[in-house]
Amino acid sequence: MNEFMYGIMPYIALTIFVGGTIFRYTVYERNWTTKSSEFLSKRDLKWANPLFHIGLLMAFGGHCIGILVPKFVTEAAGTDEHMYHLVSLAGGLPAAVLFLGGFLLLLKRRFAASERMAVNTSNMDRLLYLVLFLTILSGTIGTVSNIPGGFDYRESISPWFRSLLLMQPDVRLMDNVPLVFQFHMLMWMLTAILFPFTRLVHCLSFPFEYLFRSNIIYRKK
Amino acid sequence: MKIKAQISMVMNLDKCIGCHTCSITCKNVWTNRQGAEYMYFNNVETKPGIGYPKHWENQEKWQGGWELKNGELRLRSGSKLERLAKLFYHPDQPEMDDYYEPWTYDYETLINTKRKNHQPVARPRSLITQQRMEIKWGPNWEDDLADGQSARQDYNLKNMGTDITMEFHDLFMKYLPRVCNHCLNPACVAACPSGAIYKRDEDGVVLVSQEGCRGWRHCIPACPYKKVYFNWKTNKAEKCIFCFPRLENGLPTVCSDTCVGRLRYMGVLLYDMDKVKDAASTPHKGEIYHSMLDIIQDPFAPEVIKAAKASGVPANWLLAAQNSPVYRLIKEWQIALPLHPEYRTLPMVWYVPPLSPITRRAEADVYLPAVEDMRIPLTYLAELFAAGNTAIVSRVLQRLLDMRTFMRSRETGEKLSRKLEYDEETYLAMYRLLGIAKYKERFNIPAGLQGETKDKMRELQGSCGYNCPGGC
Repeated sequence: MNEFMYGIMPYIALTIFVGGTIFRYTVYERNWTTKSSEFLSKRDLKWANPLFHIGLLMAFGGHCIGILVPKFVTEAAGTDEHMYHLVSLAGGLPAAVLFLGGFLLLLKRRFAASERMAVNTSNMDRLLYLVLFLTILSGTIGTVSNIPGGFDYRESISPWFRSLLLMQPDVRLMDNVPLVFQFHMLMWMLTAILFPFTRLVHCLSFPFEYLFRSNIIYRKK
Repeated sequence: MKIKAQISMVMNLDKCIGCHTCSITCKNVWTNRQGAEYMYFNNVETKPGIGYPKHWENQEKWQGGWELKNGELRLRSGSKLERLAKLFYHPDQPEMDDYYEPWTYDYETLINTKRKNHQPVARPRSLITQQRMEIKWGPNWEDDLADGQSARQDYNLKNMGTDITMEFHDLFMKYLPRVCNHCLNPACVAACPSGAIYKRDEDGVVLVSQEGCRGWRHCIPACPYKKVYFNWKTNKAEKCIFCFPRLENGLPTVCSDTCVGRLRYMGVLLYDMDKVKDAASTPHKGEIYHSMLDIIQDPFAPEVIKAAKASGVPANWLLAAQNSPVYRLIKEWQIALPLHPEYRTLPMVWYVPPLSPITRRAEADVYLPAVEDMRIPLTYLAELFAAGNTAIVSRVLQRLLDMRTFMRSRETGEKLSRKLEYDEETYLAMYRLLGIAKYKERFNIPAGLQGETKDKMRELQGSCGYNCPGGC
């Protein structure tokens, strides 16, 4: 079971993630959009959406450090395990509050606040909101439940994920991971599978190039 | 000097009767789809009024267009970084209720109702939620001052510092048909984070690439005319496309073609691209109109022709520019004005301001009123078309009156009391273009690919299918 979950499934997910995104970009760019609904319901977007996205960016940054930076690097930089745990909690808990809080506000906005929002909500959106909710929730529960610091993901999940990237998955690393973290793994894989087919793709379109281009664009037919 | 060609439009407001034919034909062609129900690429407003969307002229509310900050031209909505910070929530974006909630009626109840004592009623139903709804506002709610009080909230009146009376004998109104202005310095293009909006090199038409648009929706508040719309179904921006498929075939836009008042003119202007930014940065807003005239180039001047050829303007476009109805109205006779030049986008849809009946206050027994005795206050027209510079508007109105005086003297044989500004031929030509307004004289649009590839087309006859001539 673990062999499939942590040795094969991630590759299926990442393949769909990358391949699906390329496919959509090349074939269906016409529906590549943020799917903004500010036009239909503006007032309740004001706080919810920036909070959600700031929380998301914080959480994303934290995951990058926690997963991609090996333990010996931070230790070589003079951060012991206790210190690291405190720092990660100091960043992770506010991120979780903003991320989950913002998401709950957005959920309320989408499903309970306005009839107009209902017409802007597709079945894919509903599925995505469910998967995202479970992903964020399991991540938050994992963080909170691990406040005492009993489980060190940097000894298990992080090296496993890096082994995935190196194409030599070390499945045994995941043997004693707590259930909530295992669930979190399942959910991110589902998110990655859904990614190309949902509004999530807009994160790849963050307009960095806007800062460097000229104001008026001329283009030939 | 870098010469570019621009397809431009002039509307002669003197002849607009506010019939909405332009809006309806445009809607039937371009925006009768789900997600676009509320969009009017072309709409007609009664002025004074708050317009569509509500209060679109109030740039303190929407932050549309450009401003001069320490002499530098920049978007009113802030620097690029400031605007990127608004990606997740844009405080200045209009929402559906700023336009109106589109609806239809339950027409079927008229047929299917059982026998009753009362007439069956077709009640309104929202085209968004499909629920029953109360109609609170519509795209032409203020037609002929219908809403009454909303006319007083017209932003131009605030700028004039006067209130208007709603007393019947002092009322004034006029119609203002609006399309996208296909500006030379478009704020929507500058505001688009994805670079999806662009100005077409060949004819200056401003378009939103439906592939490139990511729905960051910054173009919508940035356009001071509120002529970019957000499609809530496809979640992308859409705007008037100047009927470019028609233009490419030498036809005028649908709104121009179907105008029953025959008040729209379309043709080619040549402008100097190098001077666009300077013109938009004119220090005094009342002078922007003159800067705009300066960048429009004389299509007969040898150096302009040379520069135009050098920058790739085709021969048939040059010819059209030399025989352009809009060039005559805008630059030669100077009787057309841009709408709200103070937004600094250099709009390329121009308006011949309307004459209006004499006011009650002026009791002189005259056939033609003096410019300042007309019912629509000069200051009001100046707010709309000259950034408050009444001298510009009164000069234009005087020219229109002079033309009438001249034509009247021809009929009645009366002597002209003073020497008029232009010569006889000019007034006759002006009369012919404005009064008779033949289809072929109102529109001179060069078909896109013709001149360059006529020979190529002959070569290719019978040889290829759905390729464009020249093989692209």
